[in-house]
Amino acid sequence: MKKYEYSEGALIYYLPKELDHYAAEKIKSVSEKIFEENEVRFLIFDFDKTLFMDSSGIGLITGRYRRVHDKGGKVYIVNVKDTIDKILNMSGIYRIIEKKESKEDIIKEMVRGGYYE
Amino acid sequence: MNNTNEMSVSFTSNAQNEGFARMVVAAFITGTNPTLEEVSDVKTAVSEAVTNSIIHGYGDDDGKVIINASVTGRKIYLEIIDYGKGIEDIKKAMEPMYTTRPDEERSGMGFSFMEAFMDKIEVASKPGAGTTVKMWKEIGTAGRQYE
Repeated sequence: MKKYEYSEGALIYYLPKELDHYAAEKIKSVSEKIFEENEVRFLIFDFDKTLFMDSSGIGLITGRYRRVHDKGGKVYIVNVKDTIDKILNMSGIYRIIEKKESKEDIIKEMVRGGYYE
Repeated sequence: MNNTNEMSVSFTSNAQNEGFARMVVAAFITGTNPTLEEVSDVKTAVSEAVTNSIIHGYGDDDGKVIINASVTGRKIYLEIIDYGKGIEDIKKAMEPMYTTRPDEERSGMGFSFMEAFMDKIEVASKPGAGTTVKMWKEIGTAGRQYE
């Protein structure tokens, strides 16, 4: 299973079943190069497989958010299950990052934002 | 009748063991007949405390993290102990969003999550000697309302 996918300014993280400190560090190290070599304009956190998350996951999201948002990029969260939703809600992260029901919704916004010609 | 069930586990302060710590506590509390949400709450709290011991308590050093757990009826009591560097200012460490490692994308929400997901927590720490986090939760009570 791929941990992420990158294409022309858009990066998708396929988050693991358990997003803890151990997993977050792995994700950071495998994707660091993308941030160094590209300008990430769209960043998507896909929680489809994720059943557990703690505050290390929040750290990962807010840290990546800053890097993308500060350069004018957009960040989305998608496919969130109930237990994860509770944590994301408590963390206050929805005040800065929009949750989307599906990737199709995100693609529609990317089209409106001029990502696709 | 006071039927208390107890368990203790000790493991190396390796990040890989965070998942192990959650699993072993989740398995141990099965007898309290928790909902999936309650199991998830306890797992998150354990994960926060153990991660703190590994990252902040021991850092680059190796040490042991100890979990003592007991269950009486539906009441859960947990202790997460490390013999790492300890916390200088516990009050400050427990403030929401406070972190000594902002550069490493730490959220500073560990203690806030422990407080939110358990009924009660207590932290005892001594610089140079280590930290003990004690947490209580009664299964089957409504608990507090989240945001």
